[in-house]
Amino acid sequence: MPHYHIDTDDDVFPVCDEEGQDLANLAAGRALAHRALSDMARHRLPDGEHRTFTASIRDERGTTLYVATLAFSGQCRVAPAAV
Amino acid sequence: MSSASDIHSLTMLIRKLESIATLTNEERQAILSLPAKTRVLQPGQDIARDGDKPSQCCLILNGWACRYKVLGEGRKQIFSFHIPGDIPDLQSLHIHTMDHSLATLTEATVAFIPHESMRELTTRFPGVKAALWRDTLVDAAIFREWMIGMGRKSAFGRIAHLFCEMYLKLQAVGLAGGYRYPLPITQIDIGDALGLSNVHVNRTLQAMRGKGLISLRSNTLVIEAWDELMRVSEFDPTYLHLEKRAA
Repeated sequence: MPHYHIDTDDDVFPVCDEEGQDLANLAAGRALAHRALSDMARHRLPDGEHRTFTASIRDERGTTLYVATLAFSGQCRVAPAAV
Repeated sequence: MSSASDIHSLTMLIRKLESIATLTNEERQAILSLPAKTRVLQPGQDIARDGDKPSQCCLILNGWACRYKVLGEGRKQIFSFHIPGDIPDLQSLHIHTMDHSLATLTEATVAFIPHESMRELTTRFPGVKAALWRDTLVDAAIFREWMIGMGRKSAFGRIAHLFCEMYLKLQAVGLAGGYRYPLPITQIDIGDALGLSNVHVNRTLQAMRGKGLISLRSNTLVIEAWDELMRVSEFDPTYLHLEKRAA
């Protein structure tokens, strides 16, 4: 089984996956990267109106095999209400 | 017939029950005289499988176990983690068909107690029956807390809550103190229990370390800031209903 490292970043807190894990194939890594992205988006609500979440897979030689990004973008269409 | 080590093994059950209830001397003696067969199991070994009809209960003496269910595409949900003193399949005494599986997470020593002996014990000693009932109700309270976590808490809150819960559970049976304990489970296990990818569990653990809340080295978890960990995870230990709560 190939050994992959899945590095993640949410523009604020980059995490390098030093340990890595054995996965059946790249498709399994891709599925895991997607789950990680949805977890990251769900569990860290954007503080501002723009945030990019990234998950990338590299192999043991350090070659990047796959990169997935999820972009959050909010835009206020009215003047902010006075609070 | 019970061997000396089997008799010793049952003190783990007494320890557990006395953490949530009071037992008389006679009740303690009755528990000690239960017949129990001790076995050492490998990590990841099923103790009871979904659909089984067990004729015995399993008392954990050493190591960790979990209750779980496997869905399609290899998706796995862990319902609960179990530590020494727990009888994770106690329900099989009254609900005959297993509706989930029970497996070891680490190498584990377990004692099997025949249902028949458990029934006899609970018939003869209503106090023990009440203690086991209380244990089952606390179990349900733990499920409620996990439900809140899974439904409403962030990954950070869920993991922090689990760390607080396991600390108090282990401390109650004398297996943790000084805000540290052995955590022999993997990030995949934590993810399977809390509905998170192991990648996100890893991120969250690093964030916790970065904030100085915990440190985790060679499978030992140290809670560096107990009050803060309780606060961020909205952890209120009332649901564990521990008799002698130190924290």
